Amino acid sequence: MKNRICRKFLASALALTLVGSMLAGCGNKPAENVNNTESSTTEANTSTEEANTAQTDNASDKEEPAAPEADTSAEEVTLKIATWDATTIATTAPLIEAFEAAHPNIKVELIDIASADYTQKLTVMLNGGNDLDVVWIKDADTTPSIAARGQLEDLTPYIERDGIDLDAYNGVASRLNIGGKQVALPISTGFYLLYYNKDIFDEANVPYPSNDMTWAEFEELAAKVTSGEGNDKKYGALLHTWQACVQNWGVQDGEHTILDTDYTFFKPYYEMALRMQDAGTIMDFSTLKTGNIHYSSPFQQGQVAMMPMGTWFMATMISKINAGECSVNWGIATLPHADNLEAGYTVGSTTPLGINANSSNKEAAWEFIKFACGEEGAKIYSENGDIPAMKDDSILAVIAGLDGMPEGAAEALVTKNIALDRPLDEKSAEVNQMLGEEHSLIMIGELSIDDGLAEMAERSKEIQGK
Amino acid sequence: MQAKSKKQISLSRRNTLVGISFILPNFIGFFIFVLIPVIFSLALSVTEWDGFNAMKFVGFDNFVAIFKDRVFKGSIGKTAYFSIFTVFFSMCASLGLAVLLNQKLKGKAIFRCAIFFPYVASNVAVAVVWNFLFRDIGPINNFLRSIGIANPPGWTASTDWVIPALIIVNIWKNMGYFMIVYLAALQDIPSSLYEAAQIDGANSLQRFKSITLPMLTPSTFFVVMMLTINSFKVFDLVYLMTEGGPGTASTMMSQYIYNQAFISWSYGRSSAAAMVLFLIVAALTAFQFRMEKKWVSYM
Repeated sequence: MKNRICRKFLASALALTLVGSMLAGCGNKPAENVNNTESSTTEANTSTEEANTAQTDNASDKEEPAAPEADTSAEEVTLKIATWDATTIATTAPLIEAFEAAHPNIKVELIDIASADYTQKLTVMLNGGNDLDVVWIKDADTTPSIAARGQLEDLTPYIERDGIDLDAYNGVASRLNIGGKQVALPISTGFYLLYYNKDIFDEANVPYPSNDMTWAEFEELAAKVTSGEGNDKKYGALLHTWQACVQNWGVQDGEHTILDTDYTFFKPYYEMALRMQDAGTIMDFSTLKTGNIHYSSPFQQGQVAMMPMGTWFMATMISKINAGECSVNWGIATLPHADNLEAGYTVGSTTPLGINANSSNKEAAWEFIKFACGEEGAKIYSENGDIPAMKDDSILAVIAGLDGMPEGAAEALVTKNIALDRPLDEKSAEVNQMLGEEHSLIMIGELSIDDGLAEMAERSKEIQGK
Repeated sequence: MQAKSKKQISLSRRNTLVGISFILPNFIGFFIFVLIPVIFSLALSVTEWDGFNAMKFVGFDNFVAIFKDRVFKGSIGKTAYFSIFTVFFSMCASLGLAVLLNQKLKGKAIFRCAIFFPYVASNVAVAVVWNFLFRDIGPINNFLRSIGIANPPGWTASTDWVIPALIIVNIWKNMGYFMIVYLAALQDIPSSLYEAAQIDGANSLQRFKSITLPMLTPSTFFVVMMLTINSFKVFDLVYLMTEGGPGTASTMMSQYIYNQAFISWSYGRSSAAAMVLFLIVAALTAFQFRMEKKWVSYM
C-alpha cells in the first residue's frame, strides 16, 4: 500500500519535473533577450555619455571617441562575419588570414552560408536581432531594404574620422549612400567581360575577339567559329540562361535600367539571341535550362568559343587550370558594345560590406571594413584574381600579371563606365524576378519578342505602381 | 498529510491529469511550432511589415493586391489543374497496383519495394533524374520519336506541358505509398465474401465492383483526402524541377507564397496568399467530410 503511494508520488513528481524543465526550456529565450536588451541599453547609455563628453570636442568624433581604439588593440575581440561559399571563393580565406595577422587581437568567426540561401538567411538573421558584426551583402539591390529596416550602421562618422577617400571607388561608393547615410562600402565590383577559347579560334583560323567590338561583330564572329555536329559541336558562343545575359546588353549604356517601364531597348538583343539560337551558334536555351547546366562547364570543356560573363569567372578559371581540372587556353576581351557606345562601357554589380547596427563590436567591425575595402583588401583581391571595388592601374596590373592570367588582360579590363545591372532599389528584386520569368518565355519561343516586351512593361508598371 | 490529500483526488480527475500529461508534450510542440506561426501569419496577412520595424495595419490591402496580381490568379487555376489530375490518377494507379500485387505472384515483395521506393527517394534526386528524362533530347522524347511521334512535347521547357510533366512525376512518386494503404485494406476484406459471391456465380469483374470497391471506400476516402491536401500544398517538387517556370507556367500557390516572401520580401502578401490556400484546402476537406456519409461504407 505504502509502496503504491510512493510510486504514484514519484511518477507525478517525475511528470512535474518533465513539464517544469520543458517550460523552463521555453522560458529561456525571453530571459536571454531581456539580458541582451539590458546590456544593449547600458551600452547605449555609455555611448551617449561618451557622446555628450565628446560633443564639445569635435562633431565627427561624436560616435566613437578616440579612446576606444586603444581598447580594441588591447582587448580580445571576436568578429562574427556573415559570408557565402567561403571555401570556394578564392578571396575570402586570404583576406581573413591577412586581417587576423594585421590585427592580432581580433579573431574572425566566419558564418559561412550557401550562396543560394544567403540573402534569405541574412534577412532572417538580421530580423531576428542576431549579433553579427559585419554583413557581406550578396545582392547589392537588397541594401536599401536592409538599410530601411535600420539594420546597417551609418559609416559616415568612421569615414570622416579615418579620412577615407570615397572617390577611389570609381563612383560606386556614392550609390551606397542612402538617404544621406553611407550604409556600406563596396568591397568588389565585378563587371562583364568576354571570355574566349583561343584554341577554337586558332583551329578555325579566325583572329581573336578584339577589345573594341560591337554586338553585331560578336554575332558574326560566333558564326565563323561554330563547327561540328552532335557531341563534338563547337558553339560560337554561350549566352547563359540568366536574363542578365541578354538584358544586360540593353542597360549597358548606363541610361536605361531594368526599372524602366518601356523595355523596347531589349529588343535588338533578344533578336540577336534568338537569331543565334536558330542558327545554332549558341547553345539552346531550353537545353541549358532543363539540363540545369552551369555556364562554367561548357566553357571549361572547350565546347564554346566565346562567353560574356562576369569578372568573377577569372578566379574560377585560374584555380581550375592550376588544379589541372581544365585545359582550356583562354583569353579575355572587353565586353562587346552597341554601335553608339565606346568600348569600355560594361555592366556590373557591386558587393557591399556593412556593419550590423546590432553589433557590439562596431569599432572592430569598422577595422575589418576599412581593411577589406581599403588598399590591403584590394591587393588581396587582385592577387587572387578578383576585381576589388577600389581599383587603379596598379591594381589592374597586379591582376593581369597573375599566374595563369591570359596575355593582354590589363587592356581588356579597362572600363569607361560600369552600369549596375540591378539599380539599388527596393523594387529591383521583384522586377528582376518578373523579367526572368518573361525572359524564359521569349527564349523558349512561347512568346514573341514584342508580346514578351509588352508583358514585361505591363507587369513592371503593376509592380512599381507606375 | 500528503498521502491523505492525494487520496482525495477522485479517480476520474487523476485519469484526466495523466491523460493531459501524456498529450502535453505533443500539444506544446504543436502550440509553439504550428499554432503560433499560423496565428502570426494571419496577423501578417493584414499588415505591412518588413520583418523588423513596427507592423502597420492595412486591412485587406494585401488580399486586394494579390487578387490583382495575374501571377496569383493564374496560380489558383494551375494548382487546381495539377491537383485534380494528380488526385484522380494517383488513386487509380495505386489501387490498380495494389490489386495486381495482392495476387499470388512470384517476387511480389520486390515489386512492392520497387514501387514504394520513389516515395522514400529524395525529392532533389527525383527532380534531377526526371529533368534529365524530360529533356528534348532525353530518353522519353527519343522513345516517342522512335514510335513515330514527330513532335514530342517540350515537357518542362513548354508552358503547355510543364504541368502534365509535374503531374506524372508526382503520381510516380506518390503511388507507392497509397498502394500500401490499399494493400492493407485489401487484405482486411474477408475471403468469405468472395467465396460466397463465387458460389452465387459472380465473375471477377462483378466481385471487384460489388465487394472490393465498396469495402475499400474508407481507404479511398483517406487516400483522396491526403492526396488533395498534399497536391494543393505541392512545393518542393515544383521548386526543384522548374522553379515555377517557364515564365510562370508552373507557378502554383505555394511557389507564389514562397516568391512573395523570399524574393519580393513581402510577408504581408505572402501570408495573404497562404491564408487563401488554407481556406481552399479547409473548404475542400470540410466538403469531403460532409460527402463522406454518402459514399463511404464502414462495416
